[in-house]
Amino acid sequence: MQSQHASNRIAAYSTPVILSGLLLGLVVLVALFGDKALARTAAETLVRVVLVVSLWIFVGNSGVISFGHAGYMAIGAYCSAWLTLKPQSKALFLPDLPDWLMQAQWPVFPAAIAGGVLAAFIALVSGAAILRLSGIAASIATFAFLAIVNTVYSNWEGVTGATSSVVGLPRYVDQWVALGWAVAAILAANLYANSASGLALRATREDEVAARASGIDMYRHRLLSLVISGFFTGVSGALLGHSIGVLNPDSFYLGITFISLAMLVVGGIGSLSGAVMGVLLLSLLIELLVRAEQGVAIGATHFAIPSGSQEILIGIAMILVLIVRPNGLTAGKEFKLKPQWLRQSRMYGAKSTN
Amino acid sequence: MSKLGVFDISVRYGKVPAVNDLTLHVEEGERVFVSGPNGAGKSSLLKAISGAVATSHGRIEMDGDLLTGRAPEAIARLGLSMVPEGREIFCSLTVEENLRVGTGLRRDADAVDVDIAEIYASFPILGERRSAAAGALSGGQQQMLAIGRALMTNPKLIMVDEPSLGLAPKIVDQVYDTLCALQEERGLTLLIVEQSSLRAARVGGRMVLMRGGRIVSEGNAADMADRDALAAAYFGQSGKQTETAT
Amino acid sequence: MTNFAQLFFDATSLGGLYAMAALGIALIFGVMNLVNFAHGEYIAFCVFALIVPSTDAVAVMFLGHAPALILIPVILALGGLVAVASEYAVFRHLRRADPVAMMIASFALGFVIRNALLAAYGGRPKAISLWPGLNMPVNIAGASVPLLQLIVIVTTLLVVTGLALLLKRTRIGLEMRAAAENFTMARLLGVRANRVITGAFALSGALAAAVALIMVTQTGVADVKMGGQIMLVAFIATVLGGLGSLPGAVAAGFLVGIVSVVLQAWLPLEARPFRDAFLYTLVIVCLLLRPQGLFVPASAKPRV
Repeated sequence: MQSQHASNRIAAYSTPVILSGLLLGLVVLVALFGDKALARTAAETLVRVVLVVSLWIFVGNSGVISFGHAGYMAIGAYCSAWLTLKPQSKALFLPDLPDWLMQAQWPVFPAAIAGGVLAAFIALVSGAAILRLSGIAASIATFAFLAIVNTVYSNWEGVTGATSSVVGLPRYVDQWVALGWAVAAILAANLYANSASGLALRATREDEVAARASGIDMYRHRLLSLVISGFFTGVSGALLGHSIGVLNPDSFYLGITFISLAMLVVGGIGSLSGAVMGVLLLSLLIELLVRAEQGVAIGATHFAIPSGSQEILIGIAMILVLIVRPNGLTAGKEFKLKPQWLRQSRMYGAKSTN
Repeated sequence: MSKLGVFDISVRYGKVPAVNDLTLHVEEGERVFVSGPNGAGKSSLLKAISGAVATSHGRIEMDGDLLTGRAPEAIARLGLSMVPEGREIFCSLTVEENLRVGTGLRRDADAVDVDIAEIYASFPILGERRSAAAGALSGGQQQMLAIGRALMTNPKLIMVDEPSLGLAPKIVDQVYDTLCALQEERGLTLLIVEQSSLRAARVGGRMVLMRGGRIVSEGNAADMADRDALAAAYFGQSGKQTETAT
Repeated sequence: MTNFAQLFFDATSLGGLYAMAALGIALIFGVMNLVNFAHGEYIAFCVFALIVPSTDAVAVMFLGHAPALILIPVILALGGLVAVASEYAVFRHLRRADPVAMMIASFALGFVIRNALLAAYGGRPKAISLWPGLNMPVNIAGASVPLLQLIVIVTTLLVVTGLALLLKRTRIGLEMRAAAENFTMARLLGVRANRVITGAFALSGALAAAVALIMVTQTGVADVKMGGQIMLVAFIATVLGGLGSLPGAVAAGFLVGIVSVVLQAWLPLEARPFRDAFLYTLVIVCLLLRPQGLFVPASAKPRV
């Protein structure tokens, strides 16, 4: 006999397995039937999964909206670039790097980890200040943080190349690498959400005052979730850099902030499944709209929607979801095995998902 | 036709029910106390009548007009005013501004100044401090201001939620004296949430006792203060404990 | 001394601009707890309304042709209109939603407006010369001050006093202040929610339009990004002034303007490009010391 509690726990841990399986299935399909362009799209989408899942680790658990994650992303991306670029090209484009960084030529994997660690460290420092503020004020402060990072990276000529792009990053991130990191981020997010800290933090999301009264140290849990979130966000930045090969401070500003928040909101801030589904759905929508902007030939005529419609339509979709389904498409529910099925499966050996 | 008719209403917050299929009638010029333990749904009842929370079921009428589904400001315009729990005066506005907020719905602009003068006559302390920030008033003065503010909308029916909350007994006496005098003078109908049945008995009127979102008994306030009825309401039928009135 | 006078005029005119932008944000926040991320895009919208839609690099005046006496009221009305329209289209349907959902919706709305502008006008900044005569220098107290700076300072004073009078002396002003403090209670007293909210949006939009006119005259550029930058400063000023406090927003707007001019003057040359980073860091430090804002009056009820 299995206790209800235990089967509930197993059900909770089935979420990342289902989500990872879904992503794996998609990648296998693309590898079998897709062309090169589709493979690139898949890689981009999976990098977004890493980003949005990282964002969810903080926003989904704490309920505080962060506009600053693109900043952590930039930090991770540039860090990985500093460590992996060839010394000659660094000497040419980034002459003010310290000597040890100038000579560094790390393999890509530890460089991505280093990018994540640096971003996590900056998350710790910035979060220590910002998270002392209450919800809305903290959100505005994260926006200020984003502006700080953007100002610094757009002007630090000899270290970041300022507004001229950093080029020549090794483009090692294909859909398999991105899948690996996406699964890692999903696992970490699920582990954190089901940890003591994650559960406590979600209690504060429901009712700040009551949680505080019951002795929950909201500040510490928020900070911990931001640091974990910062690590994977930094990694997602590194992955983005190494999938397109070019870095520019403006690729880590309002555009990506908007798109990642849109994905989170459309999917549903309340659940990890929502974060992943939001990425998949909006990525599909973006892909369709991009093709529509390029135009489709039907017979002899060429139909195309005006360029820029993509962003406008996604914005409108986001507003509609907020009005019609404020909790997102998943409404805060996770994909998971139902506990009663788990108990039955012991008896019948059957297995299914909802 | 009664002044206020509440027919079979329910209020729920998410899945949590606060008021269950409650029916209540208040006659013109009557004074009705709503009493009962914490969480009985007293405040929710008042909020539902005023339009501040939505009902999930049932209908509410005043003078034959349907209140259900109307916005709070529309209900206020029909002649219903509210003195909410915790008074909720506008702390950053002056005393006089507080009184004037509710006059926007009146067509008799000339009478507003007369009414304000009348309120200052009833509550001299408010007149003295008319230009002071309302947040600087004491609790008792704020309660007077909240009552004065409710009067300024020229209502026919006033609902008062826990007027004695956080006030010294002597001040509470004063508040009730004022309320009763105003009712006499203006022919108002009063619906008052009052936890202390002893207080209700002393002031006099009809009393309904709520528990678990329903009315469990009602009658003359003085008779209702009878201990057994109360014990039953507060502690269930087996209740033998002595009740302590707050 | 000359230097000081110059600095003074620079600081007050920039502070005035920031104060007006911050007022636009604080008004809406006060009345409906909405942090309006579309406000910057109202500003950009008003700027681009001056010129003919085209993706060419050279701007052709459209509304900008009109004489000032017509142009100013038209642009102010346009700003009010776009703000009221956005309330109608988006925020009205989110009245019962929590502030976070409204904030994200405003962010999305801003994104929509910005991309609509980009589609109509292209992404490149355009040179645009509105009232070039106003940039002529005048000599005051030994400092050579562009006429426009004086006009900005005077305008700010007029706008702030005008708004203060409106809030203090009129019926709608009283209702707005009451609603800003306790919306439900105001409605229970018969204050019409829609009237107050529409009024607040109209005022906020008109303030955005005023900011737009000043910025265009000052910089001579129409750029989709210009709204976003000033909006960030305005947010910071509203948080610094205590969310929802109008006098606080004005004071903090001036403060941020002054600090920013002083930083520009005193920072070593190589650090000047990083001025905004220093400014925002200072702000975060200030908030750590006083999380409820710098100018919250003691009598006001603490807000969440």
